[in-house]
Amino acid sequence: MPGRELTTIPFSTAAMRASLLRLEGEWETVQASRGRDAIYGYLTAVFELVSWWAQEGKAITRAGRALHLRGYHSDREPEPFAAIILCTADRDKVDDRTRSKWSRALRYAAEYKDLDERSRDFIQRKGGINECAARFARLGGRQRSLF
Amino acid sequence: MPMQATILKIAMPLLMDTILTEYADQAFETARLRRNRVHTTPDLVSAEMLVELEASGDAMRFVDGEGRVAWKATPRLCDHLKDLERDAQDDLEDV
Repeated sequence: MPGRELTTIPFSTAAMRASLLRLEGEWETVQASRGRDAIYGYLTAVFELVSWWAQEGKAITRAGRALHLRGYHSDREPEPFAAIILCTADRDKVDDRTRSKWSRALRYAAEYKDLDERSRDFIQRKGGINECAARFARLGGRQRSLF
Repeated sequence: MPMQATILKIAMPLLMDTILTEYADQAFETARLRRNRVHTTPDLVSAEMLVELEASGDAMRFVDGEGRVAWKATPRLCDHLKDLERDAQDDLEDV
């Protein structure tokens, strides 16, 4: 766009904190709800956050920053969806297996969902969280890295 | 403004939803009225505003239907605005 003053905006630590806080709020909403589908609100929020990080090619480094902010330390490269779930959902209620399953379902959506389809609709259309996680697992190493 | 130094120029316009666009228009008008030989542009004012709103949890980025990173008001800000609107409506009915 010639002649126009154009800008990019840094993602500050305060913005990271606010983002994690927002997702914790979404998690609390899930906990307070009796609805079976309430989890989709939380997973959608996780998906949205990681998606724009990935769009900027910074999902892994920002997931690392989020883990660091929450006091988690690991030498391994974080998987962004799992990292954000670890940072924002109650660890007593979401065990490693569940976190891994949700992360696989979200990675499947990130890979195959159309941009203009809601992640909730996509996951439900594909048979639900368990089925999307299973589909992702069946793909093995064939899917490209999104991050 | 200290944040201004960290905002870099790139070849991409800022995409915002209706609420944030209104906020940005207001912020630019305020900046324009207050400016004192300081050159400013709508994009720069919007960027500074978005930095603040994101840090306070009132704005968030997302990937839009065309694969671009855009900005929208968070559910918290939307709820707050709805509450204000409801209060204003109640006040009107009380008159």
